[in-house]
Amino acid sequence: MKVRFQLKRGGFTLDAAFDLAERGITAVFGRSGCGKTSLLRCMAGLEPDAWGQLDVAGEVWQAGVQSLATHRRSLGYVFQEASLFAHLTVERNLRYGWRRVAPSHRRVEWQTTIELLGLGPLLNRYPDQLSGGQRQRVALGRALLTSPDLLLMDEPLASLDSDSKAEILPYLEQLHRSLALPVVYVSHSQEEVLRLADQLVLMDDGRVLTQGPVARVLTRLDMPLAHQQGAQALLEGVVTHQDEADHLTEVVCEGQSVWVSQLSQARGTRVRLSVAARDVTISLVPATDSSVLNCLEVQIEALESDPHPGHVLIALKLGKQVLLSRITERSRRQLALKPGDRVHALIKGIAVH
Amino acid sequence: MMIAGIAETDWIALLLTLRLALTSTLLLLVLCVPLAWWLAFTPSRAKVLIEALVALPLVLPPTVIGFYLLILLGPRGAIGGALESIGLTHLAFSFTGLVIGSMVYSLPFVVQPLQNAFQSLGNRPLEAAATLRAGPVDRFLSVVLPLTRRGFLTAFVLSFAHTLGEFGVLLMIGGSIPGQTQVASIAIYNHVEALDYGAAHGLSLVLLVLAFSLLLAVYALNRRFRLVGVAQ
Amino acid sequence: MWIRQAVLAGLAATALLMATAVQAQQITRVAAASQLRFVLEAITAQYRERYPQNRIDVQYGSSGRFFAQITHGAPFDLYLSADMDYPTALVEAGFAASEVMPYAIGRIAIWSNTVDAQSLALADLTDERFRRVAIANPRLAPYGARAKEALISAGLWDALQPRLVYGDNVSGTLQLVQSGAAEVGIVALAQVLNSGIASQGGHALIDAGVHQPLEQGLVVTRRAMQNEVARHFAGYLRGAEAATLFRTYGYDLPADVP
Repeated sequence: MKVRFQLKRGGFTLDAAFDLAERGITAVFGRSGCGKTSLLRCMAGLEPDAWGQLDVAGEVWQAGVQSLATHRRSLGYVFQEASLFAHLTVERNLRYGWRRVAPSHRRVEWQTTIELLGLGPLLNRYPDQLSGGQRQRVALGRALLTSPDLLLMDEPLASLDSDSKAEILPYLEQLHRSLALPVVYVSHSQEEVLRLADQLVLMDDGRVLTQGPVARVLTRLDMPLAHQQGAQALLEGVVTHQDEADHLTEVVCEGQSVWVSQLSQARGTRVRLSVAARDVTISLVPATDSSVLNCLEVQIEALESDPHPGHVLIALKLGKQVLLSRITERSRRQLALKPGDRVHALIKGIAVH
Repeated sequence: MMIAGIAETDWIALLLTLRLALTSTLLLLVLCVPLAWWLAFTPSRAKVLIEALVALPLVLPPTVIGFYLLILLGPRGAIGGALESIGLTHLAFSFTGLVIGSMVYSLPFVVQPLQNAFQSLGNRPLEAAATLRAGPVDRFLSVVLPLTRRGFLTAFVLSFAHTLGEFGVLLMIGGSIPGQTQVASIAIYNHVEALDYGAAHGLSLVLLVLAFSLLLAVYALNRRFRLVGVAQ
Repeated sequence: MWIRQAVLAGLAATALLMATAVQAQQITRVAAASQLRFVLEAITAQYRERYPQNRIDVQYGSSGRFFAQITHGAPFDLYLSADMDYPTALVEAGFAASEVMPYAIGRIAIWSNTVDAQSLALADLTDERFRRVAIANPRLAPYGARAKEALISAGLWDALQPRLVYGDNVSGTLQLVQSGAAEVGIVALAQVLNSGIASQGGHALIDAGVHQPLEQGLVVTRRAMQNEVARHFAGYLRGAEAATLFRTYGYDLPADVP
């Protein structure tokens, strides 16, 4: 679905447009103040001065200045601070939206959602008796129980400490796997994007810079993400073998083996791996006499000078996927690297999601 | 005739006072909600002007308020005269006039706590409720009222108590007609003027005990239900 | 759930209170200056005994307030002022159904509950032991204006003025002395003749010649045009029996009253 919004507030102008996938998590990513929350609020109908276009599941939510009232939209919204109703128990919070949807329209099941988010033991508590992570889970459940056609999440983990984040991320991943509705997930955290997003919409200064599959946008050399200090590439592979003795797991990516620290996932599970650009070195020959565990055959797709002086950023093709590498300009000259060269990528560290 | 040592006319004055306090307070609670709501959320520049107007009854001497209301609601006034010209009676010297006087007198005591309560609530709970399919009236009843209960309670208590002791306004606009506009405070004053201190003490004590019991009951009722904090 | 209960309780209470509204009956309402309270209570008691079918209710207050209220529709049938000016103004404003009828002439006296006032003369008021002297407000109360005139004609006004405290009306003035806020005051003779006050302290009558007469007048209001009881009571007030009581309470009587 096409999404387009314009909003003027104070000195800030939002003018963004992107295509929203019918399924999966579309992350809207950018620095603080780039307009991502405003865009989300426009999509929810919470900004009375907005102008734009938005159709969801055949219903017109926004046409120019005409806006369908928020309470008439089939949406779910998770705020940055849980915003649970303080005067209601967790159960009544969950029932709030649930009751206001006609039984014939309910697609999401009560019991399933409670179990999915582990809310059973919390039902009789009040919001002020919950931790931050627990509150966000309840907020998520509350939004889902309205059987929305679109789920909007505004930096739901931003106000949580790292323990709470670690607690809730698995639930979000589980949700991601089991939900069949479009999700727009606003975030400024690269880690959340790496773990959860399918599509990435990159925003800056009120505008959309680019959108596309997350692995692609992360590694595009013409986009700011690749140039960041902590630039990462995302690889998708399948778990094929567990080596109990060495505590290692083999993941196959584009036909090549990648070894990672032992995983609990079963054989055949799809996993995401993220590799930092700074952790990838390049060699013209396979690394046989070194401690590096992973050495992959890749082809140089493009090179660009890195903001870091004296460094270059290289995009490496691994089958249909892309890896990033950051090396010194001197090394590049010495190895005479140029686009099209077949080389070896030595990977020092891999994170698994 | 004396009942429990208090003259019958004094009991009537007392009941009149209670009736007046209840009627004007309930009416104020209903009518001030839209005003307090607007004041809490509007970005309009007129807000400071309206706030000052609302606070005006706090600083004007009650007799002055009473006098201007007398002019306005009496047969020669803008409102009273208009009523007379269409065949109805003017509003001064009647219970209705007292209610109007009390409402003006206690207006800031209702608007300010409500406005503060709405402001503390903020917009977020309402936005959340809207995303959960609750329309405007639904949002007000299911989210605003429960979470601003204390504000309503404060408004009720302040207005009620304030009206119980109201004197200057009521004397001016009511005329102290026994059974109709002679409220307890005026009755007490009359006793003092007549040097009948015994009767004055008696009626004052009853008024005090009654008012205190009512307020106690209201606060106790509020405590019975789980007190709600503002934690997210 | 509990909201419903509270609402029902509230409605029940309101219904109960509404039932206390007194039905309107044919009552003749009299607005009287507050200083007439004691003498008028005696007169109305007598009147009610003689004419029990005539229902009278008297409210006491300041003449000025009653004037404002009557000209704005207050339901009074008879107006007994503490002077002649207010009733005259009422007639001129078209709110009277009769002419102004004088009914009594008031007198002022010096009174104190801490010092024996019987031996005091006006000149003694400047004595050092009287830090504050109370009179009724000359702008609002006729008795206060007369007190001022008396003090001026005795040449005491300028000397005494810094020490004066003003009561709203004669009752307020009396209370100022009673409470000790002022050691001595000039009040209405009618007040100090009341047994309760007399037992607290004596008084010294001020010569009627040093101030304008405190002629007090009444009118039947326009609203009471057809009210027979109002006229009857007005007549009674100016009759022989009422005259006796007025004298007992320290009032002189106008020439045309027996």
